[in-house]
Amino acid sequence: MRGSKGHPGRSRLWFAALALAATALIAAGCGGDDDDSGDSSEPMTVGLSLPLTGEFSQPGKAAKQGYEVWAETVNEEGGLLGRQVELEIKDDGSDQNTVVADYNALIQKDDVDLLLGTFSSLLNLPASAAAERNRMLYVEPAGGAPEIFERDFQYGPFFTQQATADHQGDLFAEWVLALPANERPKTVAYAVLDDPFTVPVVDALRATFDEAGIENVYDETYPVSTSNFDSIANSIKSENPDMVINGSQFEDGIGFRRSLTKVGFEPKIFFQTNAPSFGEQYSDGVGVENTEGTFFAISHTPDADTPGNAEFVDKFEQKFGEPPAEDAADAYAAGQVLQAAVEGVGSIDDQLALADWLRENSVETILGPLEWEDTGAPIGEFLIGQWQNGTAEIVLPEDAATSDEIIAVRPQAE
Amino acid sequence: MTEFIQATAFGLLIGGVYALFASGLTLIFGVMKVINIAHGALLILAAFLAFTLWDQFGLDPLASIVITAPAMFVLGWALYVTAIGPLRSAPLSSTVLLTFGLALVFEAVMGLIWGNNSRAARPSYFDQSFDLSGIILPKAQVYAAIVAVLVLALLWLFLNRTWTGRAIRAASANMQGAALVGVNIARVSALTFAVGLATVGAAGSMVSVLYPFLPGSHYIWIARVLSIIVLGGLGSLQGAVLGAMLLGLAEVYTQTYISTEWATAVPYVLIFVVLFFRPQGLMGTRLREDVAV
Repeated sequence: MRGSKGHPGRSRLWFAALALAATALIAAGCGGDDDDSGDSSEPMTVGLSLPLTGEFSQPGKAAKQGYEVWAETVNEEGGLLGRQVELEIKDDGSDQNTVVADYNALIQKDDVDLLLGTFSSLLNLPASAAAERNRMLYVEPAGGAPEIFERDFQYGPFFTQQATADHQGDLFAEWVLALPANERPKTVAYAVLDDPFTVPVVDALRATFDEAGIENVYDETYPVSTSNFDSIANSIKSENPDMVINGSQFEDGIGFRRSLTKVGFEPKIFFQTNAPSFGEQYSDGVGVENTEGTFFAISHTPDADTPGNAEFVDKFEQKFGEPPAEDAADAYAAGQVLQAAVEGVGSIDDQLALADWLRENSVETILGPLEWEDTGAPIGEFLIGQWQNGTAEIVLPEDAATSDEIIAVRPQAE
Repeated sequence: MTEFIQATAFGLLIGGVYALFASGLTLIFGVMKVINIAHGALLILAAFLAFTLWDQFGLDPLASIVITAPAMFVLGWALYVTAIGPLRSAPLSSTVLLTFGLALVFEAVMGLIWGNNSRAARPSYFDQSFDLSGIILPKAQVYAAIVAVLVLALLWLFLNRTWTGRAIRAASANMQGAALVGVNIARVSALTFAVGLATVGAAGSMVSVLYPFLPGSHYIWIARVLSIIVLGGLGSLQGAVLGAMLLGLAEVYTQTYISTEWATAVPYVLIFVVLFFRPQGLMGTRLREDVAV
């Protein structure tokens, strides 16, 4: 006991010596890496943290696959600025504090050359702030909540989908309002997950439909811990709305859809964010017979006729034995955007120059051409999909559609 | 009135299933004073087992209890022997840390075996309901609640009508006293942990058909199940049943009459109020600290 409490002066001396030694080591480490671009024999390390465990592990795993296919593709084509790309991936456990610690460690301890973003607005919000503080370009495959782009950041975040969350339902709303008067819904119910991504999507739809005079008969936000949707579905059933809008991520979207079926309610028009874009996982969860006519916003489809998409899909299927999920494609596109900026500038020394390059240029990706406002918010139109005959089809805009028809009234509701 | 009856029916059906989810955790705490943070992860593991039995062999998820419960019993015994037992006399914080670590390990193992994909079993009745003059009773929820009541009844009979069960209750009430009258505490502890996990096996079969799940889903469940046993009184099986019913009803009444946004918050307010007046929970026993150890 005496040793632990006694001789404070000696302890201080030891502490000072250790601090000096640590400072010297850090200085030596920094001094040995003057040229950030490195030589071509050194790999180009790209650091990122993903929710590989926890609540968002579903998109996290898909994003990891997309990033891995991107890195492989780049390396097969000779690398980035002649250097082989090496991914440094950490698991943030779907936690906001961990994701910040991860990005700080990637930048300050692992000394990565470049960064790529994580998944969900919830995690990209703090992660992009960590990148900004460390003056690193931040390109994110998810994170479309409008508040992410309202912070006057210089180094990003550049969101590599077609539109921010508040514009993801635009084409769907336009289609609803263009329906003939006898088909146009007169009442609508909203059930929204309390999440920075889903809320703005539904807020924008609600504003449009309110203005058009479609009566709002049910409007509730549910927390992320909600597991039981039977009573919500039953309350909606009692209002008998023509249209139901569900702002969902994934598991909640499946649970909500199953509960609608359980209580025996089928709206004429049904729109969900995210969940229906998960392909077979969605149809397996809710039953393929219950998918017909469901609308959803989506950024990518394996059938899209965009440059490099067929090669990406082939490569993905060879590597993982299944078609890429939307989140995997978004991650691949984020890699493409980062690659375009680095190759456009020709160096990674000045990361602000990389960000400015993205502000001034459009990038061809497997999602189509992407361009951004100064804030990093993309300027484009999100695709609208609809489940038809057990397949997720793109129905809007017309020039990207994979199906000629749009189901205006779901057959189960007739 | 119909709305109230409907909400009450939903609440009781949910509560019945929650009661089974929580019974194993409270049983283990009662005897061993171990808060098993891995309870949620083991619940999801059992759900994956039930899903696989349904997906690969067409076995009904609720019927799969005959396999998942014994399988989890064996796993429980093995876990006790290798991990929990050696820390039986360690401070509570050590076992909390250990079981939290186990939860992370099980989550990773599930991810390796089944991937991070969401699963949900769909037997023929999964999206059907009984309609009793406008009162909707989802079939899967009704069947699950019936099975939960049966399993809980069996557990009650085991604890109250068998010598082994009485030994478990004796160890729960007073470990030293039970040892003095010849109860083998180490063996009873192992058995309790295994029986606790067998109930998790049965509960996991229900999760597989009632809720979509993936390896990371356990965080939501451990939070909910811990709330139930704190509300009911740590270590009390009757308390867990009562706490589960109250929590289920509170969730649904809040969704129906207040706001869905508050549905998971209001039950915690309920817990706060109950603990304010009864710190030992609804059915917990208050002991003098100097004799409780």
